[in-house]
Amino acid sequence: MIAAGRRERALDVALLLPVIALLVAFLFYPLIYGLDLSVNRTEGFEVTGSVGLEHYVRALFGDAVFRQGLANTLVLTGAAVVLQTGLGLVLAVLVAEARRGRTLFRIAFVAPFVLAPVAAGTVWKFMYAPFFGIVPAVGGALGFDLSGVAPLADPATALWAIVLVFAWRFAGFSMVVYLAAMESIPREYYEQGEIEGIGRMARLRRITWPLVWPQTFALVLLTSIATLRVFDLVWIMTAGGPGHATETVATYVYTTAFRTLDVGYAQAMATILMVLIVALAVVEYRLLNPRAEAASL
Amino acid sequence: MTTRLRVRRTNLVLVALALLWIYPVVWTLTNAVKNTADLYGGPLAMPIPPAFGNLAEAWNRANLGQALLNSAYVASLTVVGVLLLAIPAAFALTRLRPPGRAGLFLLILAPLIIPTEVLIVPLFSIYRTMGLINSLPGLALVNVVFSVSFATIILAGYFRRIPQDLIDAGRLDGAGRLALLTSIAIPLARPGIVAVGVLIALFSWNDFAGALVLIQRPSAFTAPLALTTFSTFYATDEGLRFAGLAITFIPPLVAFLLLQRTVLQGLTAGTAR
Repeated sequence: MIAAGRRERALDVALLLPVIALLVAFLFYPLIYGLDLSVNRTEGFEVTGSVGLEHYVRALFGDAVFRQGLANTLVLTGAAVVLQTGLGLVLAVLVAEARRGRTLFRIAFVAPFVLAPVAAGTVWKFMYAPFFGIVPAVGGALGFDLSGVAPLADPATALWAIVLVFAWRFAGFSMVVYLAAMESIPREYYEQGEIEGIGRMARLRRITWPLVWPQTFALVLLTSIATLRVFDLVWIMTAGGPGHATETVATYVYTTAFRTLDVGYAQAMATILMVLIVALAVVEYRLLNPRAEAASL
Repeated sequence: MTTRLRVRRTNLVLVALALLWIYPVVWTLTNAVKNTADLYGGPLAMPIPPAFGNLAEAWNRANLGQALLNSAYVASLTVVGVLLLAIPAAFALTRLRPPGRAGLFLLILAPLIIPTEVLIVPLFSIYRTMGLINSLPGLALVNVVFSVSFATIILAGYFRRIPQDLIDAGRLDGAGRLALLTSIAIPLARPGIVAVGVLIALFSWNDFAGALVLIQRPSAFTAPLALTTFSTFYATDEGLRFAGLAITFIPPLVAFLLLQRTVLQGLTAGTAR
């Protein structure tokens, strides 16, 4: 830290001013504008009168599609947190043990994360397609005729088919984060474990797991924030269908705002989503934070 | 079981998993160079000899050249904008003493938790009145807003690690704050700045929701937008869809392979502390 006179402190603020101005104009102002939209009746994008909390009541108590979207979003988020973090850890342990080709493994597992969500979603739409997709091919190889099976078109399987895509796309990111942490664990810990003769699982549970807890915490937080608001992957693969089987809050907000043009209502649902995200982040922060005092991220 | 046997088994499992992971990518790239009729020949059928007809047709029909250029333009503007804003901000937050520093930090962090969904309708409305719909710099501006907080935090981590002695030495030499930033902080944080730049370029390149709402004119389509529009409305068969998909795959994949060390470093910078 540098001691400062008055003029210099003014300069310190000046360095921050552009970011603050940008965020105020294009983030905080739209946020407030959006809150205003959510309590008003709208005609297209014009406000025509106040409705108070009517939109919120309608979303929470009178709209089965919103409730299904909320349920789907929570299922998707729960599954994504468990699968992405768990798979990431497993992959990290395996890659850390590999004698050769660690860089290649890293590249293979991170590649899906680098692809645009639009591209990743389109690939899986094809993978899940009937006739030339992956299910008919695997079925054919095993001697079954599954040529008409399309996981994304069946309401019973569509959401789980999407969950798999999330695991595929993001597990590599978790893996890289874990690997970086595991590289900084002192070798002596594992040597000590070897002397005590503990097995592989015990080594993972008693040495690695506690030491990578800060990463687990960060990943759980990041994954839940990112998955609760997910739009692109789902939109590309199913646009919320079939029916509303894979509708998420975000896809429903988009269709309500830009297809049915019920802007005020869409904005109320988006606000509920924001409250949910902030609440969940606060709860997770309280429950899982590895450090007692508030850590500056 | 002996250690050696176990290592070998681990490697087999890993290789199998890695192949499973990249299979969809390889499948797409091989299908892109097949004739449409050959798509149904099974997923393991190799495209020999490769057929480039679909690639050429998809490129022309979806106007992918224009779309890739638009994406590159938006990504460049976004990276420049983010770095111009985030570097001084991160420096001021970590090495200087602006009044109300903790509050300013929170203000800059807050956007990380605000979902895009809650802003997209108001931003669309604001952009309409400002005449910024279909404007590529306008899209870049939104990308900057959505990624500047992330960049500031990562860069703050790099600036924080600069030894105080170096800053003090600069002070003794009579360097002012801006000189400290440009001659000491920026050169020392260069790996971090590069990593952040690459990641932001990737985010901007991959953005879909922003472009979907703010860009409507086909000549201003970015690559993800061109791809979805093409494969939903214009591609007449599956072969063309695969070809279009493969073309939009390639730039980020090549960038990642070339810069993988930088990308991986940037990805872990936020969480590994």
